[in-house]
Amino acid sequence: MINTTILSWVTFVYFAAFVFYLFRMILGREFWGKLATGTALAGLVAQSAALIIRWIASYDLGMGHAPLSNFYESLVFFAWTIVLLYLLMEWRLKNRSIGVFVVPVAFLIMAYASIAPGINQKIEPLIPALQSNWLISHVLTCFMGYAAFTVAFALGIMFFVKKAAGTNSSKSSVFIRLLPSEHQMDELMYSCAALGFIFLTLGIVTGSVWAHYAWGAYWQWDPKETWSLITWLVYAMMLHTRLVRGWRGKRMAIMAIVGFACVLFTYLGVNFLPSLHSYMA
Amino acid sequence: MSKNKSGIWSFFSSVRLAIVLLSLLAFFALIGTLVPQREAAGELAAHLSPGLFSFLQKLQIFDLYHSVWFFLLMALLAVSIIICSLDRLPMVWRRFRMRPEPQNENAFKDLTEESAFLSKSDVSKAADIAALLLKKKYRNFARADEADSVFLCAQKGRFSSFGVYIVHLSLLILIAGALIGSVFGIEAYVNITEGETVSVVNLRNGKQALPLRFSVRCDKFTVEFYKTGAPKTFQSDLTFLKDNKVAHSGKLLVNHPIEFEGFRFYQSSYGAAPGGKATLALLRSDGRRDVINVGQGYAFDLPGKEGTFQVLRVEENLMKMGPAIKVAVQSKKEEVTFWVFQQIDEIKQANPEIIQQTPVFNPGLFRPYTFVLLGLEEKYYTGLQVSRDPGTPVVATAALLLIGGLLIILFSYARQIWIRIDREKDQVHIRVAGRSYKNQAGLQKEVRYLIAELKDNLGNFK
Ligand code: HEM
Repeated sequence: MINTTILSWVTFVYFAAFVFYLFRMILGREFWGKLATGTALAGLVAQSAALIIRWIASYDLGMGHAPLSNFYESLVFFAWTIVLLYLLMEWRLKNRSIGVFVVPVAFLIMAYASIAPGINQKIEPLIPALQSNWLISHVLTCFMGYAAFTVAFALGIMFFVKKAAGTNSSKSSVFIRLLPSEHQMDELMYSCAALGFIFLTLGIVTGSVWAHYAWGAYWQWDPKETWSLITWLVYAMMLHTRLVRGWRGKRMAIMAIVGFACVLFTYLGVNFLPSLHSYMA
Repeated sequence: MSKNKSGIWSFFSSVRLAIVLLSLLAFFALIGTLVPQREAAGELAAHLSPGLFSFLQKLQIFDLYHSVWFFLLMALLAVSIIICSLDRLPMVWRRFRMRPEPQNENAFKDLTEESAFLSKSDVSKAADIAALLLKKKYRNFARADEADSVFLCAQKGRFSSFGVYIVHLSLLILIAGALIGSVFGIEAYVNITEGETVSVVNLRNGKQALPLRFSVRCDKFTVEFYKTGAPKTFQSDLTFLKDNKVAHSGKLLVNHPIEFEGFRFYQSSYGAAPGGKATLALLRSDGRRDVINVGQGYAFDLPGKEGTFQVLRVEENLMKMGPAIKVAVQSKKEEVTFWVFQQIDEIKQANPEIIQQTPVFNPGLFRPYTFVLLGLEEKYYTGLQVSRDPGTPVVATAALLLIGGLLIILFSYARQIWIRIDREKDQVHIRVAGRSYKNQAGLQKEVRYLIAELKDNLGNFK
């Protein structure tokens, strides 16, 4: 199918964008930065086109649903939201240094979607439970939240990279000097976590509304629900420790990384837990 | 409010406790996903000693989210939120009521260079321009004029300090709603075979039955499949009867529940029900042909009173050879049982010897009749989830408040702006200062914006 072909090419485009961001950070020339941004943007446009083509194709197959319904599609959408959010941030902040940590995450997700065994790339029909308008709003909000948490995570890693390089900035490499200041990273990390928290809240609420219509209970303590609550609580703690107890810098970076681990577990890990949520007999 | 800082009060008003409670809750949830809960705990019982299992059961480890521990944690969280909010309310209220004074030396104390500039203009003109700008962008504008100086101030976003209160209040409402649900709510299920009526449902916990004050009939169940074999839609046509009179009827689909008398019915599963109907033709050697509808267990007299026959089994697909029914015919002389396949002609074509090899596959085993199975009507049961949760509207309100409060917190913040204009020889010295408890970065941006606007407007004015 043409859309999966485009999407596998997009994987390489994101890899190229990552390499260009890396060149910029090592060589310190803004030319590479511009090239990286252009490449990432081209990847995003191509990916959006592929998603639209896939959406249309599902209508041609007589199924007609947004490309958000199976694991492959959710991975692709996850990568899409990460790149979208990152490019928006780059544009708003006029700072390209975060790209070298965020874009590879999008690349890895796309690569996983393309090559991991057992991932079905076909357009699949929607089982009755998924035939709901809440599906789109639920997936959209959850993944916007996940994307914001991903950027916060990348900032957390950046923070430790900068910290490890030491404070003597005159001796440090171009790479380290190009990174935002610790204070800036701390502020950004908080902004991303707060944004993600709102989106995750919206995601949990829309998910509950949907569950209310589909299963007859807005909350069932299913492992996925429970882990999204755990994730939500971790970020709630992150907000409180910062605002009220004044945690900054290293502690925030640790929270951002722990929070992202919870996101990943909510998204992938719960498949390994016993689930009562067997809807389809 | 008098600040009664007793030990208990400060214990509950500390945010450290809040963080401990949030991490406890997260830990609790974590345990709940690792230890099988409710029905699933049964499997674990086989691997543990009975003593240990019943001990853990007493601790409510297998129903954590309905345990005393959980309620206790929720109660502590609620108390903590209430006390913490009350504790901070006077301060927040003071901040809310406070109007900035135009003359404020403190605000200009640690001003950076970029927050000030010199311009060739006169004080009153510069002040008018600045006043216009502040009035346009802010509220509660105030101005104080002195001989060689003008002081201006304004503020914005005062209400945003209540965003946090809305969020925390919504959490209290959420806890209340969940509590109402778990005390007064009902979760049950029932399977109804097509054509049947039920007035009792099975509770999910405790395995008790709950009689309803009405009854539900499943008139028909339909399922459609995609080409891949996955189900596309399933639908039950339900009729609700009250005092044996039809009170309501409707189509129940997944994602489209039906509400009746406070109970919500959800389409949750389906299955093949035993006892579908078969349409059977009876051919007699003299040419007589009868068609009858039979179900499992039905017994009839044969049309010519040669005996009685009974349907023993109805199979949708017997030994991969298609639909079949097993019948027994009893006459005064003999009793024979045999299978009647719908696709007997195809079966014979594939294996011409079959009737000789397996006489019970011969539909003409009882003379003078030959039985022909014309078709099977499949019969389904529909699986319904039945629930009642009076806490749902409460929880929904809480969710809306939570989102609204978070949006207020994210998109607005309280700040105060001061502008001070002083004559310095033939120039004016303009300084802009701001104060915000929360968003320093946003405030700096606004101050920069104000400076740029002022420079621009003063330049144009010349
Ligand atoms: C699941 C539980 C909770 C959630 C989701 C939650 C959420 C929030 C949010 C979103 C903020 C605002 C952050 C900001 O201004 O950007 C906040 C602030 C705050 N929360 Fe909570 N909270 C929870 C529990 C608690 C508890 C139990 C306490 C009580 C001790 C508490 C005390 C506070 C305080 C004191 C602030 C700071 C208010 C300020 O900035 O003036 N929170 N909370």
